[in-house]
Amino acid sequence: MERVRARDAAAFETLYDEYHRLVYGLALRVLADPGAAEDVTQAVFLKIWDNPALFRGGNFGGWIARVTRNRALDVVRSRAVRVQEDVPESLPVDESLEETVIANLDGARVRDALERLPREQREAIELGFFGGATQEDIARETGTPLGTVKTRIRMGLRKLRNVLEGVVTV
Amino acid sequence: MSAHEELLDNVAAYALGALPPSDAAGVERHLRTCAECRREYESLRPAVTAVAYSAEACETAESGAAVASPLLKSRIMRKVRAEAAPRRLAPPAWPAYLAAAACLALATVTGLQNLSLNDRLNRERAQTTQQVKELADLAAPDSKRMPFHHGEVVMHGPRLYIAMHDMPMPPRGKVYQAWTLAKGAKRVAPSMTFMPKASGTTLVALPEAATTLAAVAISVEPEGGSLQPTSKPIALVAL
Repeated sequence: MERVRARDAAAFETLYDEYHRLVYGLALRVLADPGAAEDVTQAVFLKIWDNPALFRGGNFGGWIARVTRNRALDVVRSRAVRVQEDVPESLPVDESLEETVIANLDGARVRDALERLPREQREAIELGFFGGATQEDIARETGTPLGTVKTRIRMGLRKLRNVLEGVVTV
Repeated sequence: MSAHEELLDNVAAYALGALPPSDAAGVERHLRTCAECRREYESLRPAVTAVAYSAEACETAESGAAVASPLLKSRIMRKVRAEAAPRRLAPPAWPAYLAAAACLALATVTGLQNLSLNDRLNRERAQTTQQVKELADLAAPDSKRMPFHHGEVVMHGPRLYIAMHDMPMPPRGKVYQAWTLAKGAKRVAPSMTFMPKASGTTLVALPEAATTLAAVAISVEPEGGSLQPTSKPIALVAL
């Protein structure tokens, strides 16, 4: 990222090659529209090129995934790519080796780990993350008490983390 | 349930991005001051990142995930390259043979003292013009250079040169010979024969038009040259 900040096109191309599958795949999963997913991918990468200071450190894969998800959900809600000046970001957290390891897993291995979760936990997580549904939306849509939805999300994420740690240490 | 317990209960949904904005703002404020909730958040966030990676597009057909069009990368990189900082290019290396070729112009001129003044001037002009043209071709930034062990083949427009340095003398009774392979041809055709200069630097301008050729080769042949190669090529360069 240092070289991207210095306007190095070759460094940016390396960044694109490394992360475009994550960005495009995630946008496609949220939008279910290849053309719109490409628009989001282009918007995300060009936003990084135009303002690399938006990334303030930590795990880059996790950060660009959150940026992409938010941008794609924004498109779902407005059905138009809206270029925002501020990129939504969660609280900055300390860089953890564990997150790096998990983020370095490829999509196929993570999909396998998700498959191992109980169906209702996986469903709650996927509705929340890819569908942009709030936990209240999920409770309403699935006819499940809100407290149960909260538990499913928390337990599902914990199990996913444990399964992935198992994958990493095998 | 205390306020803390209620907020802790929402940390997982916050990490997943499944809280309405007003609730998310409350959890975010709380996370800045509550170590326990912060630990819960930091322990769950890697799993959320993993959920994102589960959607990563993959090249294999079995995954069912498509990849973005290569044209997307072209579009993005076109804009990026247009705005990129200019690259600091190292000054182009001045090949040894090129410096030698420049010196050759002087050496040739000083060897003409036995001719009449007019002859000397005319030959000097013709040779200098030719050498300036060759130097311009060799030094042109858009010339195409294809290296081989003892030098390189240089192509500039239709003109083609073999530039060699540290080229050993061939065995007694032998010469070097260039061969050209025309596009679509199956056999090479004989071209010029030549000997290295004492310095080991040799510049040969081939008479063939580079644009009609697919490859150039060099072999060691008997004096006078051959109609077909009689030895294994010491260089073979595809154009």
